[in-house]
Amino acid sequence: MADPTSISCEQLTYSYPGAAPALSGITLEVRAGEYLGVVGPNGGGKSTLVRLLNGLLVADSGRVRVAGFDPATEPFEVRRRAGVLFQNPDNGLVAPFVEDDVAFGLENLGVERVEMRERVREAIRSVGLSGYERREPHTLSGGEKQRVALAGLLAVGPEILLLDEPTAMLDPAGRDEVLARVRELRASRTVLHVTHHLEELFDADRVLVLNGGRLVAAAAPEELFSDADLLRENRLVLPTVSRLASDLGLPFCRTPEELAAAVEKRSRDNSGVEAR
Amino acid sequence: MKIELRDVRHVYSPGTPFAVEALGGVSLTVEPGEVLGVIGGTGSGKSTLVQHLNLLLLPTSGQVLVDGADALSMDRTALRRRVGLVFQSPEQGLFAPTVEEDVAFAPRRLGLDEDEVRERVRETLGLLDAGHLAGRSPFALSGGERRRVAIAGVLAMGPEVLVLDEPTASLDPTARGDLIGLVVRLNASGVTVVFVSHDLDEVAEVADRVCVLEGGAVRAIGTPADVFYAGTSPAPATVRVAAAVGERLPGLGRPVRYGETLAALRGVMGGTG
Repeated sequence: MADPTSISCEQLTYSYPGAAPALSGITLEVRAGEYLGVVGPNGGGKSTLVRLLNGLLVADSGRVRVAGFDPATEPFEVRRRAGVLFQNPDNGLVAPFVEDDVAFGLENLGVERVEMRERVREAIRSVGLSGYERREPHTLSGGEKQRVALAGLLAVGPEILLLDEPTAMLDPAGRDEVLARVRELRASRTVLHVTHHLEELFDADRVLVLNGGRLVAAAAPEELFSDADLLRENRLVLPTVSRLASDLGLPFCRTPEELAAAVEKRSRDNSGVEAR
Repeated sequence: MKIELRDVRHVYSPGTPFAVEALGGVSLTVEPGEVLGVIGGTGSGKSTLVQHLNLLLLPTSGQVLVDGADALSMDRTALRRRVGLVFQSPEQGLFAPTVEEDVAFAPRRLGLDEDEVRERVRETLGLLDAGHLAGRSPFALSGGERRRVAIAGVLAMGPEVLVLDEPTASLDPTARGDLIGLVVRLNASGVTVVFVSHDLDEVAEVADRVCVLEGGAVRAIGTPADVFYAGTSPAPATVRVAAAVGERLPGLGRPVRYGETLAALRGVMGGTG
């Protein structure tokens, strides 16, 4: 990729009709290959940002470039380079069979048949659903449906993935399935991942905090997650394991095993002190 | 109000090639005054199950009893007033020009006089911390605000049992915490709550009992500690932490709620923690 900047926004502002600005003065740059988390309260502007990036909404003022194109004037150029995965897996699936659904985006691009079949097969494989080609989407679990929707995006070959709370409606198993695919895909793409679950962003390069339509912070995850004031001001809640560690005065922990080890160590330190 | 399901089966599209058995003989009781958490993966039958509690769905076979009497012979409208059901993404049902009008819709249809309707709307929006939204359009609200307005629409009918199907999906963590607080307050005021969720951490926080559904059958039902420490279903983060600590240190017990877990961990750490 010649251009090292994947997404850029300058002073981006948008208001829904008759409402206060949903986004105001957003300036940011996303490097090609970066894994960027976006968090913040409901109404903070996260979904509005995604919609401006893919041209579903047009900014009132400011400048947006996605893979070098302006989504307002060249939405189709943007959409073949930046795929959006939305929250509700039922909304996106339209065709009678999985393979038709995955092919849908490609058909709209006028890709010729043989190539299309190959790309669809590869996309279905890359989300771990080989063998599902002739399944009917409505018979799939939520996690499987989201992976079909993801395959539909991948078939088009985007260099950018915009994930708008892709796990919000899934059960824990479905969530793990989708997150595992995201972890694989980020190796070769720019990923912008909107979520309410901070634990999904432990390995993000940066996390943006949007609140009240403003960009209030952009920080590495460990920096953000250990800033209690910043979290509270932005209605963010640490994952349970990290919160227990923090409330116990232990170092930052991601998993139950890490926390158990820290608890054991503190327990031994304390009994050592008492023995003396 | 006590609701009992006895050997309830539900088959969608029975007698056709598309027939699917969603519930295969479920028996359980919703005890008056409790918070019953219902968990299970996608397709386990959770939503089908809860729609039998107010007979939005009728059992293919089996019985639904309300305070010991056959619910099938009761007036459905009266039953649905007593058992309020809030669906997944309830905000899709919002339609009126203002929040106030939307919440007033159901109580008005109950035939209450206008003063009583207004009073209930005010009270319900207040309970949900949404009084300031009364004059706004439902479509100009954030996701969390819309969810609260939709729940207010059901609460305004004054149900004895409130069934919440995935009420916190896609809410931000603080809005989720507020909703959990609301469930606790409603329950304290005497409302029985059936709480369906994918989020085990929040079920752990509110439920008096937990029912695990799998493949349309009850896999386990009991206190949160009994169910989550049995190791047969996925467990909330607190229980996973306690289990991991229990392998290293004795004397932790079986904490489930966050506060209990924090106290138990402080206990085994000793010192000043």
